[in-house]
Amino acid sequence: MRDRLRISVSGIRGEVPGALNVDVASKFSSAFSSYLEEGQIALCRDPRCSSRMLEMAVFSSVIACGLDCANFGMLPTPFLQFLMRREPFAGGISITGGHNPLSWNAIILLDTGGDYLDVSEGSEVFNIYEAGVFNNVPWKELGHPQPKTFPLDLYLREIADIVDAERIRKMSYKVVVDPCNGAASTYLKDFGEFFNLDLIPINDDPEKPFPHPPEPSVENAPQVEAVVKTTGADLGFLLNSDSSRISFVNEKGEALSEEMTFPLCLLSLEGKINKAVTTTVTTSWADWAAQNIGVILSRTKVGQSSVVHIMESEGAEAGGEGSGGFCLLSFSLGYDSLLTLALILDFLSREGKNLSELVQPFPHLYRKKAKIDVPPERTYRIMDKLEEIYCKENPDYTDGIRVERKGVWFNIRPSLTEFVLRITIEGEKEEEVGSIEDELMDRIGL
Amino acid sequence: MRISDLKISISGIRGIVGESLTPQLIIKFSEAFSTYIGGGKIAVASDTRPSAEMLKNAVFAGLLSCGASPLDLGILPIPSLQIYTKEKNLDGAISITASHNPVEWNALKLIRKGGHFLSPLEAEELLDVYYQGRFRRIEKPEKVEKEDEPFAIHEMKIRQFVNTDLIKGRKVKAVVDPCGGAASPYVQKFLEALGAEVVCVNCDLVEGFPRNPEPVAENLGDLCRAVKKHKADIGFAQDADADRLAAVDERGVPIGEEYTLALAVDYFLKAKEKSPVVVNLSTSRVLEDVARQAGVKLLRSKVGEINVTRKMGEVGSKIGGEGNGGIIVSDIHTCRDSFSGMALLLESLAWSGKKLSELREELPDYFMIKHKVKASFREARVILHKVSQKFREGEVQDIDGLRVDYPDFWLHVRPSNTEPVVRIQVEGKSERVAKEIFAKIMKEI
Repeated sequence: MRDRLRISVSGIRGEVPGALNVDVASKFSSAFSSYLEEGQIALCRDPRCSSRMLEMAVFSSVIACGLDCANFGMLPTPFLQFLMRREPFAGGISITGGHNPLSWNAIILLDTGGDYLDVSEGSEVFNIYEAGVFNNVPWKELGHPQPKTFPLDLYLREIADIVDAERIRKMSYKVVVDPCNGAASTYLKDFGEFFNLDLIPINDDPEKPFPHPPEPSVENAPQVEAVVKTTGADLGFLLNSDSSRISFVNEKGEALSEEMTFPLCLLSLEGKINKAVTTTVTTSWADWAAQNIGVILSRTKVGQSSVVHIMESEGAEAGGEGSGGFCLLSFSLGYDSLLTLALILDFLSREGKNLSELVQPFPHLYRKKAKIDVPPERTYRIMDKLEEIYCKENPDYTDGIRVERKGVWFNIRPSLTEFVLRITIEGEKEEEVGSIEDELMDRIGL
Repeated sequence: MRISDLKISISGIRGIVGESLTPQLIIKFSEAFSTYIGGGKIAVASDTRPSAEMLKNAVFAGLLSCGASPLDLGILPIPSLQIYTKEKNLDGAISITASHNPVEWNALKLIRKGGHFLSPLEAEELLDVYYQGRFRRIEKPEKVEKEDEPFAIHEMKIRQFVNTDLIKGRKVKAVVDPCGGAASPYVQKFLEALGAEVVCVNCDLVEGFPRNPEPVAENLGDLCRAVKKHKADIGFAQDADADRLAAVDERGVPIGEEYTLALAVDYFLKAKEKSPVVVNLSTSRVLEDVARQAGVKLLRSKVGEINVTRKMGEVGSKIGGEGNGGIIVSDIHTCRDSFSGMALLLESLAWSGKKLSELREELPDYFMIKHKVKASFREARVILHKVSQKFREGEVQDIDGLRVDYPDFWLHVRPSNTEPVVRIQVEGKSERVAKEIFAKIMKEI
């Protein structure tokens, strides 16, 4: 599997070395630059050691095609998307493995405005990549590095326009933060000062390796839970390595599922939004929250790019996923964990409650997420077989197969980023969730 | 027949930016180099070509990919890079420079441990790795580190080698033209440190080169004028990577690269040390006269710095070089080094108390024609054969193309290592003889 490149609209992903290496990164950037033809590309990376290397291959290839390159070095992807929403870049490239393990990396392509490429744009880039004929220009027309720094002040001020910053500041929240030694590490201090937080950082040295898998989830939360307990903090949170996703730990030191993030954000925006978008595998808490505040919720395929594209086409103000990502269209065209954090602080201060009190009214749901290793050449046949089995239950085919039964639903789909089938089951009764898992495993019958 | 401007050879990789020299190619070549020498500390430096930024990032990416720890030395002359590699005991180095070629070209030159270019045999092995494309890519790439004073070691070595008080005492005044190249950031301070009074022309880094970087007479107008205007004792022209040197006399007349080498060697043999001299097959006979006068042997090697320096090592030579202005002083380092050359010539002016034109007059006159014709490899073979048929009576050497010696002239015809051309050189005791023979060769091809 090591030498297999995962290709999707948003970019290419693979293990380093193996499928993803400097050669592939260079060709892919040359293809993207050739596609754009002119203008300036914004470039950033996460702190992985392979990202620094890939960054150089990408930078070289961009300027070789005559495009100027504003290289921000290590910067959270959402920051780049925030800036691209406000400055006229022709495109953007983010080198980040996001939530993937350390040995992985990805080259994510962004359209002007910070949006993900849509399918037709993406396939055009791949056509150029495959043809291997790039717009390399003579020495006089080579692109130039454009020294730029990220306008953190502007970013913080714009967040303050969305939330009640004064109210948050008055609360002087004590907050434990675990950015997983990721790209956001160096910006948290300023964020904390801006909102008058008593910030207790752990794992905030980007020079160090990831302390745990860079995914904000309950399994990765024990450190934050422990520090929240011992320091008596109001809140704790975890970020992924490029600071797009976030999950929370309550004041008792109990980690909340990352599925809580999206519904909590919806509740925090009561009265400010009318429509929202999520995916077919996101928790039913999202429906519950949307109904509570009178928001119309639609569901689409998994992945940031499909969520954001549907938000744009349907004019939905907000979008997010069960993986801990949340996006506000007026702010930027991607998931942004620090914006999400500010929204939760806003919610806490507005209600004057603890986080555990805020999630109290959520209905009880049991959830099971599993992944099954499947080589790509077998995926199609397995999915075909499952379709035959479940077609009588009137399934939803938005992303894989989604079957709804009374009090429980499940979804099976091939992953976009890894060579696995992902299974999500959610229901009101634990034993029911368990028996569906057994049923699925049996029918997939590997 | 189509001839690519890309040249992947034992000299490295060279091409035109935007046509053949792409980031993908540079990355692949650097990966091959890192794989071949097995990672380790590898220094990277460039000349001032605007394409350096593109190439350098690609080089770093390729080196990192296969386990090297690259060291960024910024803009640096190639001899300084070689000396740095040797003195810091690095595992290798890459110089990003197309040397004397025009600005649209660029190239990678590969340096091994010890600060020498790869030998032809080593280069062949590297090319095997490159073409096989099986690179030893690693999981956790290192970081690029920076060196702030990469030129310091080179300067220190030369300052210890020459008598700066002597130069200062004689108030030698020099004009230098580094062609806005790799020497530009360093050369003025360097010459001042040697005790000279210095005027610099074409020292600013501009987009592209202020003149053609080859230091041959027709490109040295700015320097000649400046020498006259400032009433300097000597003018120095360097090429873009500062391995080659050509001097201009106090009247503003270029003495030519061959005589620049000859005067440096002559002085070394007279004032420093008697040692065998090694030059390449294309170098002027005036070196033979210089060696004879000093009573030392003169040996000739194949063209190419690595060939000259290896021969120097074999015979224990302390001084040598190539007739295109590449002066090699092995006490500094066995590499072509315009800085060592400048130091020798400055000291020679101070030591002899003579003018440069007078020193030049003391040497016999020769007239040389250097020419190149475009030719594919097959065409090159045909040309060589035709010429060899025409000049059968002379003394023939065929270790590197064809060199034939006659009492009044010699000729050397050889395919280039760096371009799809055949180089033709003729030297005669007079302009008439040289031109006659040259015309005869050209008629054949």
